[in-house]
Amino acid sequence: MIEQKVMDPQQLFFEAERQEVFITGSEIVKEAVKRANVDIAISYPITPQSESMHLVGDLYAEGYVKEYFRGESEFAVMSEVIGAAMAGVRVFTATGGQGALRAFENFPNWSGSRLPLVCAFMTRGLNAPLSIQPDTLEMAFMLDTGMIILHAEAAQDIYDMLLKAFIIAEKTDVHIPVGVFMDGFFVTHTRDKVKITPAEFKLPPYEPYSSPIPVMDMENVPFRHMRDPFVMKSNFISYAAHASWQQEVLAAAERSRRYIQQYLGGLVEKENENADILIITSGTAVSQSQEAIAMAQQEGIDVGLVKIKCIRPFPTAEIQQLAANAKAIIVPEFNRVGWMCRELKSVIEDNTKVVGGPRVFGGMTMPPEMILDEIRRCTQ
Amino acid sequence: MNKNLFKISPGYEEIMPAEYLDLINDGPYGKNYGVDDLGTFKELLEEHPLCAGCGLALSMRLILASLPNPEDTIIVGSTGCSALAFPQVAVQNIHSLFGNQNAVATGLKRALKLRFPDKIKDVVVVAGDGATVDIGLDMVMHSWFRKENITTIMLDNEAYANTGGQESGMSQEKAVLNMAPTGKKFPKIALPEVAQAAGCAYVGEVSPLQAKRLGKMVRNAILIAREIGPTYLQLYSPCPTNYKFKSNETMQKIKDRVKDGTFKVKEYITPEAEQFLAGIEEGKK
Amino acid sequence: MAEKTWIRMSGLGGQGVITCAHILATAANQEGKESTVNPFFGAEKRLAPAESYVRISSEVIHERGEILKPDIIMIFHPHVITLGKCYTMPFYEGLQPGGNVIINSDQPLAISKEDLEKLNQMQAKVFYVSATQIASEVGGTELSTNMAMLGALLGVAKVVSFDAVKFAVQDRFGGKNFVASGSTAALDDVMKSKFAKVTQLIEKNMNVVEEASKRVEEYQL
Repeated sequence: MIEQKVMDPQQLFFEAERQEVFITGSEIVKEAVKRANVDIAISYPITPQSESMHLVGDLYAEGYVKEYFRGESEFAVMSEVIGAAMAGVRVFTATGGQGALRAFENFPNWSGSRLPLVCAFMTRGLNAPLSIQPDTLEMAFMLDTGMIILHAEAAQDIYDMLLKAFIIAEKTDVHIPVGVFMDGFFVTHTRDKVKITPAEFKLPPYEPYSSPIPVMDMENVPFRHMRDPFVMKSNFISYAAHASWQQEVLAAAERSRRYIQQYLGGLVEKENENADILIITSGTAVSQSQEAIAMAQQEGIDVGLVKIKCIRPFPTAEIQQLAANAKAIIVPEFNRVGWMCRELKSVIEDNTKVVGGPRVFGGMTMPPEMILDEIRRCTQ
Repeated sequence: MNKNLFKISPGYEEIMPAEYLDLINDGPYGKNYGVDDLGTFKELLEEHPLCAGCGLALSMRLILASLPNPEDTIIVGSTGCSALAFPQVAVQNIHSLFGNQNAVATGLKRALKLRFPDKIKDVVVVAGDGATVDIGLDMVMHSWFRKENITTIMLDNEAYANTGGQESGMSQEKAVLNMAPTGKKFPKIALPEVAQAAGCAYVGEVSPLQAKRLGKMVRNAILIAREIGPTYLQLYSPCPTNYKFKSNETMQKIKDRVKDGTFKVKEYITPEAEQFLAGIEEGKK
Repeated sequence: MAEKTWIRMSGLGGQGVITCAHILATAANQEGKESTVNPFFGAEKRLAPAESYVRISSEVIHERGEILKPDIIMIFHPHVITLGKCYTMPFYEGLQPGGNVIINSDQPLAISKEDLEKLNQMQAKVFYVSATQIASEVGGTELSTNMAMLGALLGVAKVVSFDAVKFAVQDRFGGKNFVASGSTAALDDVMKSKFAKVTQLIEKNMNVVEEASKRVEEYQL
């Protein structure tokens, strides 16, 4: 193994010197994992994720990751990481699009099993005929898996969110998985400038006994869980256990808010948030909105921007406050169903002012002009 | 596992459940017990919620009594009847999803090797026939192809029993079961042969009728998996409920199958594994 | 206002479109400009359509994805136009007024009168360069076609300097592990095997760049 010095997370995230590099999103994943003190990484190819896990494989060959292999399918990989996490090590994997849906049954199980797994999701269209192009539709399916969901806008977010995800996920009072989502191609394959910390420093190792549930290593007392297994529903206890456990997983996500605040500086970022017209969105749609807002400004239209970084837990209070005085809220999205719009409408009191769209799907980018058109309409 | 871990702190003896006290005083941890010793020690399985006469429950008791290293064994199960009994077993057990047991076991074993490089941690998969040969077959076989150091044990009751007696890949041809209303259209899957071809170092078929043999085979399978490579055991464990026979006829069912030639104890071992076992025997002398 | 040059490169898989874009963007960054680059491709196959987009600006670039309004369009293979192996139809879709089109072909292509008229109306300039031929002649391998296209670009518009390109080529092939895709990595090995030494590779490629910059010719619309 390559020797790296352990650095306190707070110091690594906020104080360590940073060097600017010009690399692709996939390469940023490698740089983050290199500094994350990952024990095991398990891979399975799917465009646009594959490159990132090739590179994590290189980290294994170089001695930065202790164990690495290619599993036989996304479903299997997402189960293999369960075993590894239950044994008390830090685990990383990545998938996207159809791969995420192939593995889907595992995700609520990760949360329910309180596993601090970190998975990168490189989003991709799910439609038939088959598509490999960018589309954030899969996120609609992931919202209620119990995972913490972070959405990277661009290069810098990938680096920071991935590293911070491990620390947030592994807090004893959280200890649930974190999905770090990034838009396929738009972010994974774009070469961009990103500031990274020196490779000689890494995060502290995962402490297995910080887990709120027993580690499966036979180094703690093997107890008889119950007289009847939960699945039997043969008594009130099993019902109560299921009901309270679902709430506990949700509560764990709620408890993550303060860590997300601490490490990511909040669940949202905002610019010019007192403008009458607000754009609220996440991921690449934020980048496209930046361009549209600059164009609107030249026409004398004032538009504010709210970037949602954390989608689960949802920044309900933040959004309610930001939306209170806005006259119109535009929600550009890279998917057909408009899941972000649904989310916003479900928490904003006067949701008639929420404009769902523009929406682009099928793999095309969103021309800033489309957003500008929507902005112009809102001024009428 | 450090035995101090499960010792009861002074003063707490009275409030701990009786079965826990029994486990500490008369349990099998570190004792090297086997099938022959059943009845003389506190078993790992405390009661169970399975049907009267369940062949699978008997197989489980025999497996648990044969673990060479129960204090450092983790069992990975799957959805099915056996999953109902595992929460009552005093070794750590994982029940994740239906069919993913060998994938979970792969990750678990590799992670335990990282964390405990100098300690034996046995990972044993115990799952039903549906979990092993149908829904989880890709992951079962890939764990063999990858030469994972895990033992896979199938509790073969020739049906999906927990969901009400549907046909499985291990049901016999022509068996009339739910979802096979006119009888199964293809033969029982030859998983032991598949296991040999897929790289298992040791493969066996046995049933609780041959209890001592079963115990020895479980032990062999676990010891070989530690050092040589993947092993597979298939335990014929008839289901009185779904095959509609009386609960006291389970052993007779197996005898009938032996008689008509549809069940036979079989063992396959690679020369490397055989040499390894011989080495262990040598060490004992 | 930001000074922006948006460049769309269309070619076929295996021609080095994506590598060319990466070299150009690295060069722009080397000169202190802001630049991003991203490719678009379907299945990773040789001769399948492949596009790459380079944005160069004096200010931070937010916009992502394919370039819909390019200032310069680079066509790496005649089939992009003649067989429509392209993500945008017609090939000049979105070209900004006064924009440039650079086409790799030994002779002018049979572009319809209608298309030529439209290009004329847009005050576009069309250039031809025998990039594949120059790559073979000067670089000794068709794999340098992308470098010839890059040279042609420099001959048409000085978006970056030769020195910056040289830096970027060194950065790309000079040992640092570059990642585009699995298939690109395989082609890299082929490329490296063509040249005894990396320095020779860089030198020959730079010769290709310079030669192509001289041999690119404007086509009168």
